[in-house]
Amino acid sequence: MVDTTTMQARSTGSLRVPRYAGWIGKAVGSGLYRHTIGRLADSRRARLALLAGVPLFWIAALHIGPIFQMGRISFMADYPQAPDGGSAYTLANYELFFSDQLYFMPFIRSLIFAAVVTISTLVIVYPVAYYVAKIVQPKNRMRALLLLLIPFWAGELIRTFSVIMLLANRGAVNVALRELGFIDRPIPMLYTSFSLSFGVIYLLALYMLLPLYSAIEKIPTPLIHAAADLGAGPFQRFRRVILPLSKDGIVSGCSLVYLTSVGVFAAPLLLGGPNTVIFPEVIATLFHSSNDKWPEGAAFAMLLLAVSLSTVGLFMRVIGGRSVRLM
Amino acid sequence: MRDFTATRRSTLKLLAAGTGVLAAPAIIRPAFAQSKVVNITTYDKFVPQSFIDQFQKDTGIEVRIRLTDDQGKQYNVLSAEGETPSTDIVTVTGHRLSQFIGSKLLTPLDTARLKNWDKLASAYKGAPQLTVDGTVYGVPLLAGFEGLARNTDYTKASDSWAIMFDQEYKGLTSYIISDFLQITMRYQGNDGDFVTYEGKPEEAQAATNKARDYLIQNKDMVRKYYDAGSEVQQMFVNEDIYVAHSWSGPAAKLIMDGHPIEISVPKEGTYGFLYSFNVVKNGPNTDAAYTFLDAILSSPEIGAAMSRQSGFASAFDGVDKVLNDKERAAMTLPQEQTERIQFFSSVNRDMKNEMVDKAVAEIKAA
Repeated sequence: MVDTTTMQARSTGSLRVPRYAGWIGKAVGSGLYRHTIGRLADSRRARLALLAGVPLFWIAALHIGPIFQMGRISFMADYPQAPDGGSAYTLANYELFFSDQLYFMPFIRSLIFAAVVTISTLVIVYPVAYYVAKIVQPKNRMRALLLLLIPFWAGELIRTFSVIMLLANRGAVNVALRELGFIDRPIPMLYTSFSLSFGVIYLLALYMLLPLYSAIEKIPTPLIHAAADLGAGPFQRFRRVILPLSKDGIVSGCSLVYLTSVGVFAAPLLLGGPNTVIFPEVIATLFHSSNDKWPEGAAFAMLLLAVSLSTVGLFMRVIGGRSVRLM
Repeated sequence: MRDFTATRRSTLKLLAAGTGVLAAPAIIRPAFAQSKVVNITTYDKFVPQSFIDQFQKDTGIEVRIRLTDDQGKQYNVLSAEGETPSTDIVTVTGHRLSQFIGSKLLTPLDTARLKNWDKLASAYKGAPQLTVDGTVYGVPLLAGFEGLARNTDYTKASDSWAIMFDQEYKGLTSYIISDFLQITMRYQGNDGDFVTYEGKPEEAQAATNKARDYLIQNKDMVRKYYDAGSEVQQMFVNEDIYVAHSWSGPAAKLIMDGHPIEISVPKEGTYGFLYSFNVVKNGPNTDAAYTFLDAILSSPEIGAAMSRQSGFASAFDGVDKVLNDKERAAMTLPQEQTERIQFFSSVNRDMKNEMVDKAVAEIKAA
């Protein structure tokens, strides 16, 4: 719909229509343009709708679209389909998960692993975020934050390989311990639950650090001083003042770390051992297996997505309350 | 920061930019389909860079390499692209060929278009692994086998796969589960390639389960299950493992580089495989693909460079004369060990894949 003011301006000839040269001018002057996009662009509301359309289409096509396609494949009997054949729809791929105990253990292991990693990351990163936000001089805060962020400029795989070089039998830690005379034989640290957790926490610490820093930095320092003046000890100040006021950051950071760690794939593949197989590896095996098992893999991926989103939703509702939002 | 005002001009500019970004995928596909380009999906270090540089200089055809480390991944990508593949040449192992052909992903090879076809070693020219119903589907490149690799500094010599289950090396072994399951079946006196189980699913399942249970029972022997050759190389170099099942290429490469590694075929035998370059059906640059394939066959030096880089034995004639003694020693087995290699067959693949995949998942989950 054309604005009334625009119509009036047009009728009086006072509307300044931009002039374009060359083919753009011809295109803008054409009847097709004037009766379609040109007419829409006259209205402020339509312009906003047009602008919103691009990002909405982007989100739908590149974010929701692949998940929808994955969901569609999860109900198919065969995929990839033969060039000359179709595929029936079925629930058998979901039934497989519930009927075969084989897949249940890695699934539970994944959820527990993600929960442990999330809690550990919170415990490790919280003091760091507090230190940067409250102890470091305000003029040096950005510098300190930048120092913490530098490792994250490298890719995830590079950082994973750096963990391997650190923890391998001939890695930096074992070499240092041997040179210092603490050990004769290397301690097998790599390809264990320890190396996997260490690596994933290192990879995901940033997702916890930034929301926590943001939340803690906003806590008024005089409030903490006031609590101290009123006789609250360090622990009581933390429990009664700092922790409740940084709840938003905790919930955001935990949600991000949990959702990322529950689906983490490359790090377990490189750092994990025979007893640390988690669900994303099982899903990947189904996609890479010799017989085409994309539908089963897609069904399992949808189950993981549903359960992890539900868990985070529940967590945000119980811990976060109404004020909590992601980032 | 100034507030954004959605004027006519800014709206149109943003719309144009957004449309351009969204249209990018449609622009990318034609970019692959240029007559002066050949897109190749292959393993790391299979095609020597020196050859690529020379080929590009001589023909003006740009070589675009995409790396894969797994036949399944390569098959999945090609399947997903369907009728409009963006790659021209893929690297398929002989025993996986039937799967690619069955899904109509490859086109028969027109050997008449390859004037250097005769430069292949006679044993590999139209090798049975690459021939289906009398039609040749691939240019053989490199041959390898599933070997027993060990660190000679820390382990004793062994002529049996039993060393993989020796308590002395507890937590110091590694293998690719699907491959080693088949070797374990062979170690237990069964047919790990399932050829003799055609029409006998109960017998095949019993043999598979027996090997699966044995591997689960000995799970504490394993440091890590791996997938790619580079992983086993890294574990040997870092001394995280002392004994492993390994493809011959990665182990031979370590030997060539001077690491204390030995690769052998134990008395129970093993399986061999043949890598080939295959022309993709409906590939965007088929003419350029044939030009590339003909060029790669042109001299034994190219075959030798491929062997040096990958560690696998070349299928090209005359390569032995080009390799030096150290390289030859790393890739050559004693005659009695060579005779223990049985090439993987494409017979009864579906049953084998089904049972092996299930057993692999069970071993991982146990």
